[in-house]
Amino acid sequence: MKVICDQSALAEALGIIGGVIASRTPNPVLTCIKLLAEDGRLTLAATDGDCGLRLVMEQVQVDDPGETLIPADKLIQIVRECPDPTVTLENDKQAMFIRSGESMFKIYGFDPAEAPPVADFDDEKIDCEINAGDLVTLISRSLFAAADEHSRYAINGVLVEREENKIRMIATDGRRLAVATGNTSSGTGESRCIIPSKALSIMRRILRNDAAVVRIAMDEHQIHVHIDDPSGQATLTSNLVEGRFPPFEDVIPKDQDKRVTFNRQTLWTAVRQAALLTNEESRSVRLHFHDNKLTLTSHAPEMGEAEVHLGVEDYSGEDLEIGFNPNYISDALKVIDQEQVTLELKAPNKPGVLRTGKEFTYVLMPVNLT
Amino acid sequence: MPIRPLSTLLINQIAAGEVVERPANVAKELIENAIDAGATRIEVLVDGGGRERLRVIDDGCGIPVDELALAISPHATSKIDALEDLDAIATMGFRGEALASIGAVSRMILTSRTHDSNEGGRITVEGDHVEGPAPAGCPPGTTVDVHQLFARTPARRKFLKSDGAETRRVRELMLRLALSNPSIAFALVSGDRTLLDLSATTDPRRRVLDVLGGELDDQLIEVDCTDEEASIGIWGLVGRPAVARPTTRHLHLFLNGRPIVDRSLSHAIREAYRGLIDPGRTPTAVVFLELDPGRVDVNVHPTKTEVRLRDDRLVYSRLRHAIIDALSEHDLTAAVHVADPQDRSTPPAQREFGARRVAEPPLPLRPSGSKGFDARSAREAMDVPEAPAPSLLAVTGSIPVMQVHGSYIVAEDDDGVVIIDQHALHERIMFSTLLERVLEGPLDSQRLLAPAMVDADSEQLDGLERIGPLLAKLGIEAEAMGPAAVGIHAIPVLLLERKVDIVEFMAELLAKAGGGSLPPDEEAALQEVLDMMSCRAAVKAGEQLNESEMAELMRQRDLVERSSRCPHGRPTTLRLSLEDLEKQFGRR
Repeated sequence: MKVICDQSALAEALGIIGGVIASRTPNPVLTCIKLLAEDGRLTLAATDGDCGLRLVMEQVQVDDPGETLIPADKLIQIVRECPDPTVTLENDKQAMFIRSGESMFKIYGFDPAEAPPVADFDDEKIDCEINAGDLVTLISRSLFAAADEHSRYAINGVLVEREENKIRMIATDGRRLAVATGNTSSGTGESRCIIPSKALSIMRRILRNDAAVVRIAMDEHQIHVHIDDPSGQATLTSNLVEGRFPPFEDVIPKDQDKRVTFNRQTLWTAVRQAALLTNEESRSVRLHFHDNKLTLTSHAPEMGEAEVHLGVEDYSGEDLEIGFNPNYISDALKVIDQEQVTLELKAPNKPGVLRTGKEFTYVLMPVNLT
Repeated sequence: MPIRPLSTLLINQIAAGEVVERPANVAKELIENAIDAGATRIEVLVDGGGRERLRVIDDGCGIPVDELALAISPHATSKIDALEDLDAIATMGFRGEALASIGAVSRMILTSRTHDSNEGGRITVEGDHVEGPAPAGCPPGTTVDVHQLFARTPARRKFLKSDGAETRRVRELMLRLALSNPSIAFALVSGDRTLLDLSATTDPRRRVLDVLGGELDDQLIEVDCTDEEASIGIWGLVGRPAVARPTTRHLHLFLNGRPIVDRSLSHAIREAYRGLIDPGRTPTAVVFLELDPGRVDVNVHPTKTEVRLRDDRLVYSRLRHAIIDALSEHDLTAAVHVADPQDRSTPPAQREFGARRVAEPPLPLRPSGSKGFDARSAREAMDVPEAPAPSLLAVTGSIPVMQVHGSYIVAEDDDGVVIIDQHALHERIMFSTLLERVLEGPLDSQRLLAPAMVDADSEQLDGLERIGPLLAKLGIEAEAMGPAAVGIHAIPVLLLERKVDIVEFMAELLAKAGGGSLPPDEEAALQEVLDMMSCRAAVKAGEQLNESEMAELMRQRDLVERSSRCPHGRPTTLRLSLEDLEKQFGRR
């Protein structure tokens, strides 16, 4: 195999595929990337056993077709350090040679026949098509709320529900719930699955071109995502999370009687300020709504206190004091691009609901105030 | 059988059953009499574990010949006169039962001479047969010679243990009495072996070391606290955590000079060590309490080892805090035990390299012969010179050096090298922070979207109800949901931040609450649960820490009380002293 690549394109592709590689595994081939050069293209493939990714690079010159299986970390580090605009990858039976400018590296690889399989996109199982930019928005607005290593396995992922061309992505960690709503460009009937967080964060990275069309296929156990854009193709395959997602509709309150509209940036700044004086034992900001004003206060024992005032013109309802983890508010404000957000409240021990139009609903549970 | 009054002998034999169970009880009654008689030396001789013969010889005030007959009759005593006196008992004995009871179950020869008479007297009692009193030549003082104990009550004799075991009991009893009477010399001879020979001293600390062992010299911390308002005086010597024992043998409690057994007060001492020693061990402690005799009822049981206190809660809390305060003034960092290259004969326990010297020995607490509670003189006696205040921040200025094996932090301090167990230290820091925080109000708690469910049996559901107020303080909101589950509505923010699995945590807590293994005392239960929380929330062994995390840990270490031990009582820190390093490298 001999192939000449553009250094920055190769480095970018390797950066994405490196996210798939298992960090701790006793099986060395799971720490490798498979390279396949043929038909004027270079295909990179890797999997951790649950999630697999195949990237096809077009801007390469294949001098000699062939394949190889190479430890990912060294390959990534070397290509990142290559000084020249081009990188030449070449291999013999035991090793791969990486040349760039005046530098030459030799890495011992594995037999490509041992490479774990990375599934191809299966057109038979096509579920829907969606605009890449829309999919990125949906992922951003849900993934952040997903649980992290939770013992309830089903919430360590994002629930995706589609009915005709309406699609929703839902995530929760037990304290907050994010529901992002959007449209697909094609798709009939209904489908429902839970996608692991890791697959979604890799997916977000391969959706570089907002205008591209993403094709999604699924069966009972796996989801396949395929994207074809001028720079190349990417196919992501992931096992789905088994288990029952909690009945999320029940926790979205319907009887909030206090409503207030904020400028997103203004609220975000205020919350970030108040968050500065919270700590591990006391991660809460107190929101006091009174006389068309909102006062945010926080205090960290033995450190200090913060007090931030905001005018709120349209607050409807009597005085209310409620505590929230400031990170939970910021996390949501970070992924919204609309200028206005509304916050709906009811009582200090009842959830708050943050909304932007119909596209984003975010339920967050308060911290008990003392 | 018709009802008829019991003979005096039988009455005395029955009474003896309460007071005199074994030779050690006889010795106790007689030694206490000797102490009350103002003796300066008390000698006890035993043969055959005391059942063949037990003699107690004192040089006290003696009994006039014409009172000898009265002395051996029941309820005859020189120690109290009227009912009011019972409210202010300052002597060891007072019931007037001892001699009569002992005489009823042995052959007892009482020989005595007062200091101002030229001739003594002797009276012999054997059951209901009394011989004398007859004049006798003897030195001033009293000798009680008890032969053939329980010879006429074979049932009692059968319950006695081996001669050696009975002798040991006599010895232990004497050690206890010796602790509170340093100005009296004590000797015990069994057959031809001297088992105990304590010379009189004016220094109670000296006596404690004579009794507990001289190797404790630099292991004892002085406790000294007087509450004039409540007229409570506390003086004692308590051991560093390193000399806690697996048995209760080194815990000695005295009330107004009398050795007592009191579960509540022993508990107060243990609680003071909470988090410094393993819960299965008992601190070494000799503690003397002085209370107004009017507030103590010692007349609960004839052996007088149990007492009843008025305001026992107050005494409990004063005692606990006195010890906590004393301990907090000392650097309790454990020393690394390294074999001394020059001297391999000394056992490591006797070489505490890191230990600092404690305060100078105090003045006597309870001058010998003092009768009754005299708050003023007791306070004066306890008015020992202030100990030079040791540094509160034991290792201020420690610089984190490195983390080894992802589990230990090695740093230097003024005295040498300290090795820190990161989990144990972080656990201690969290525990102390939380404890302080909980006193201010409930912990911040995050509500959950939907209750997290934990399985629970009916005992655990009952337990949940009992610990309701405790959970509220911790910021845990949970309730029974159906017959076999608990739903958690809100959880402490800290546990969330530290990624503690709340379901596992609650399951453990419910198991404790249901199984009754949480202490009934509210404060103790709170500490226990905070302990569980800190243990789960603390960094684990094997977790890599970066430099700033280590620096933060070391900074907090200097701010937190008892940072030398984790809440379970295991050490957080070991110190290898420069002195020891120099020895090991042959530099000295």
